[in-house]
Amino acid sequence: MKFIKRLLRDSFERDIVILMIVSIFVGSMLASSVSLTANAYFSKTLANIVGDYGEFDLIISVREEMKDDAVIQIQKIIDDAFPGAKLKEGPTLTGKTSFFVALPDQYKTKKIYEDLGKTFGSIPGGAGIGFMTEPRITVRGVPDGAKNMLMDNIAQMEGVRFAFRDGGSIGVLLTSLDKATAVNSAVQHLLKQYQVIEISFPVGSEPSNPIRLGETIADDMRQELKLNFAQNVSIDGKNDDMTYAVSTMMELRRFLGAYASEVTVTPAQGIVLHKGDQAIFQGAASDVPSAGQAVVQGNVVVEITEIGADGKGRGVITHGDAGQLMASAGYRLEKNLIGEPIGTVSYRNPRRELGNALNETSKLVAQIPGFAQDARNISNIGLGVLDNYNSGMAAIEKTLGDVQSAGNIIQTSTAGLADIDTSSLQSQIDSSSRAMGGLIGTLEVLKLVQADTGGPLESLSLTQRNLNNLKSTLAALDSAAANARKARLAIDQVVASANSTMGTLRAFDSNGARSSLTDTNNRLDELSKINVPLVTTQLGYMAAAAPNLKDEDISHTVQILDKFIAGQVIPGERIQILTTSNINTNAVAPIIFRQVGHENVALYSTALGVIEPNARGELYRVLGEVKAILAGLTAIVVTAVFLVFDHTAVMSVMRRRRKVGVVKKTGYLAALKRFVTGLAVAEKKYGMAVGAIMLTAMFIFAGGGIPYLPWIGVPVLGAFIGLVIAGACEKISPVAAEEVVAGEALGMSFDEIMREIVIPASRPGLFQKLNIRKMKFR
Amino acid sequence: MLTINNLSKRFGKVVAVNGMSLRVGRGETIVLMGPSGCGKSTTIRMINRLIEPDAGRIIFAGHDIISLGDEALRHTRKRIGFVFQQFNLIGRLTALENVMLGLVMGGMVKEAAYEKALSAMEKVGLVKFRDQKPSELSGGQQQRVGIARALAFEPELMLWDEPTASLDPMLVREVLVVMEELAKYRASTMLVVTHELPFALHVADRIVLMDKGQVVEEGIPAKVFVKPASDIGQRYKELIEYQMNTSALTLAGQRIA
Ligand SMILES: Nc1ncnc2c1ncn2[C@@H]1O[C@H](COP(=O)(O)OP(=O)(O)OP(=O)(O)O)[C@@H](O)[C@H]1O
Ligand SMILES: [Mg+2]
Repeated sequence: MKFIKRLLRDSFERDIVILMIVSIFVGSMLASSVSLTANAYFSKTLANIVGDYGEFDLIISVREEMKDDAVIQIQKIIDDAFPGAKLKEGPTLTGKTSFFVALPDQYKTKKIYEDLGKTFGSIPGGAGIGFMTEPRITVRGVPDGAKNMLMDNIAQMEGVRFAFRDGGSIGVLLTSLDKATAVNSAVQHLLKQYQVIEISFPVGSEPSNPIRLGETIADDMRQELKLNFAQNVSIDGKNDDMTYAVSTMMELRRFLGAYASEVTVTPAQGIVLHKGDQAIFQGAASDVPSAGQAVVQGNVVVEITEIGADGKGRGVITHGDAGQLMASAGYRLEKNLIGEPIGTVSYRNPRRELGNALNETSKLVAQIPGFAQDARNISNIGLGVLDNYNSGMAAIEKTLGDVQSAGNIIQTSTAGLADIDTSSLQSQIDSSSRAMGGLIGTLEVLKLVQADTGGPLESLSLTQRNLNNLKSTLAALDSAAANARKARLAIDQVVASANSTMGTLRAFDSNGARSSLTDTNNRLDELSKINVPLVTTQLGYMAAAAPNLKDEDISHTVQILDKFIAGQVIPGERIQILTTSNINTNAVAPIIFRQVGHENVALYSTALGVIEPNARGELYRVLGEVKAILAGLTAIVVTAVFLVFDHTAVMSVMRRRRKVGVVKKTGYLAALKRFVTGLAVAEKKYGMAVGAIMLTAMFIFAGGGIPYLPWIGVPVLGAFIGLVIAGACEKISPVAAEEVVAGEALGMSFDEIMREIVIPASRPGLFQKLNIRKMKFR
Repeated sequence: MLTINNLSKRFGKVVAVNGMSLRVGRGETIVLMGPSGCGKSTTIRMINRLIEPDAGRIIFAGHDIISLGDEALRHTRKRIGFVFQQFNLIGRLTALENVMLGLVMGGMVKEAAYEKALSAMEKVGLVKFRDQKPSELSGGQQQRVGIARALAFEPELMLWDEPTASLDPMLVREVLVVMEELAKYRASTMLVVTHELPFALHVADRIVLMDKGQVVEEGIPAKVFVKPASDIGQRYKELIEYQMNTSALTLAGQRIA
């Protein structure tokens, strides 16, 4: 209170406060200028090469000889898209000239950054565009499909302005440089939570549809390993629809390819076939092809796609259909004109094979009700026999005979049933049904491509459904046969062992046999319910329809599909699955081997991404640190200097006043007490306060910072400096006590004594300079 | 003028002044004597509170010195001149400025202070040395500046703490002459601590002898030094006789013992 009152007056205390304000100002200026000078020196060197830190946002490199055109174009783009942006020509290195572009702040958005490649795409001689916006960190090596997820997560982080795709990397713009460390470790932490399991396929074993395979593996990992997160990231998720369209087309192409007729051309004597050669065959045309003539309606044209080791060419029919290949003699076709004889043709038509299979199947289906009825009768006999078996052990002997004969009957009559290889029938039906599914798909696509290839799509679908019914019924038949066989075996066993032992006889599980037979009956009931005529008709229709798909249609469609697929980049040699880092590749391996179908793949786990060391950012960060250290050290020196030159005299006076009348005590306890209370004596308190205030203020104003010195350490350090100097104040600025006493005797006040006697006689410093204003005797 | 009653001061265990009492009348010149460490300086410094007393009363011109506030004390100090053994001049100021300092600080305009200081310098015969720094003056001259500084205020009371003790014997005289002059005109009351026996004998109206922080004897010089009542007085008498035997001690042409 008293102090504040004195502050308001023209008092010595106010002199000290003014002195401290001036000291802090001067000291801060000094500390700032020392650090700025050093910083300016270093950053100038840097800036000469790459521009100031954060000054520019883009670097566009163009070929040196195009730079005049380029600069006009760049300027035009900037004027159009980013008015206000700054363009500066940078150095030319190894034939490339750099242009630096500084974007106004409002253009620093994710969208604009990601489109910059396109925006500046039209620059002549353009060699590339890079980002220079700072502060920024870059995450490298992130799989395409994981980028969105990662960017979304990073964008949420404190201190992140936005994240964007920077070529193969992810750029992360920060709100300020001091956030760099925090964001860095947050990103690091995020990356550590994930891993990318890479499945590499050696050349030649690439999967036909890596997308679907990746999906399946990821699905299985989630389900079987109970993982929260497993995702195929081999391709960019943002193109999902396209990817799946391509994937479907690849599947279709594969199916169609499998049903195209395989044509083999055996070259005539002296003829060497080449890939891409075309051969023409008479086909359904009325005349044998003759040299020099053009292709006519009905001819079959084959394009060689592959040359075998034996010199034979394999190919596809691009015109006509394998069904039309009657005469096997073929001629070379060049520029649509028929040439020399080229060789003979043979072929395999998978569609015809499918038709045959379907025909076979329908024949079998017709027999099913008959089999079922036979089997049923027989099993009823068996049941009757088993009923008798249970009537009593006394009747065993007699029954044994019956059983034996029953067994024989069963044996004879189930022989037919048991011989039916239902499993092969089932697989036949299975593959027919699948084939039909494919055909349906194909027809659908064909319908898209060629509107007239409509076909009886609907009835095909119906047939497929019926076929599936038949398949499940056949499964019933299968178990009926199996049950019959089981019954028969049981009886055989009974009969075989009956004569030797009663025990075996007693052990006979007649109930088991009965239930087996009852089961059989039930199943046979179902089997007889098959709508045989319907199924056979449908199968017959299918069998007739399958070969109707023409080879030329197939190769035409395949060409269209190939053209489409070829435009899409789908990496085939590598599948990347993003998953959490808590799962081992060994645990995933079985799933992958199973889905891939072989073990000829390399598996390894890689990081989701790595933070690229930002050399320039680091450099500037270190520079910033050096700057802060220099400012801090200067502030410390300045504080000490000011304390020594300006404040020791004041402290000496305080010490003098305190010492008057105090008698020294001796003894170590007293010494200890002196030390403790010594810290609280006036001149030390004063020194500590002044030191702490000055150093802290200078640190704040000059941006000081010393590594490992926490903020609270700054005032503590200042106080420590003050304390040390206070301890030596009388040695540094001895006060002429007799002059002070004289002043007192003259009736001078404390302020007057300080201003006229003590300060002018103290060390020459800022205080002395400031004090001159206050002196009456200069 | 000045009444000291039962004044005491201790520094820790050392009792410097122990129930000292003294009355000084206006215009009187009192010489305070006593063995070293008996508390003379402490007493004299307590009068203008350069040292704070522990107990007792000091009445100066009707004011209780001890109860004075800061402001009033400073005002009172201006009415009491103090001459130090070590001169205590301000080293950075010239002789004249030293003399002016108290006046200017007291609120006097510089021109008036200059005149006043100059006349004080005249009284001590140092006008031509006025622009010299203390370090450029001899000890005697310095002490005369110290006297001029005290005189400049035209103080009602002047306190002298062994003004000649730090001086070369050859320089003592010029200071004593000035003091004698001042005593003669009785412009102010003088309380002088000194060991200069001739001065005490010749100039003092009264001699006050102190020992162990107390007044042990006081009276006119002729009484104290001729028929002392105290041990200290007896020792001073013996000292005077000794000095007389070794060299005829005369002062102003008159033999005194
Ligand atoms: N500031 C002080 N701190 C501690 N003791 C002191 C202080 N000043 C004086 N003393 C002691 O007080 C006693 C009286 O001292 P003082 O200076 O008054 O004696 P003195 O009569 O003036 O002696 P001298 O003739 O030597 O000047 C002495 O014992 C001295 O040591
Ligand atoms: Mg003394």
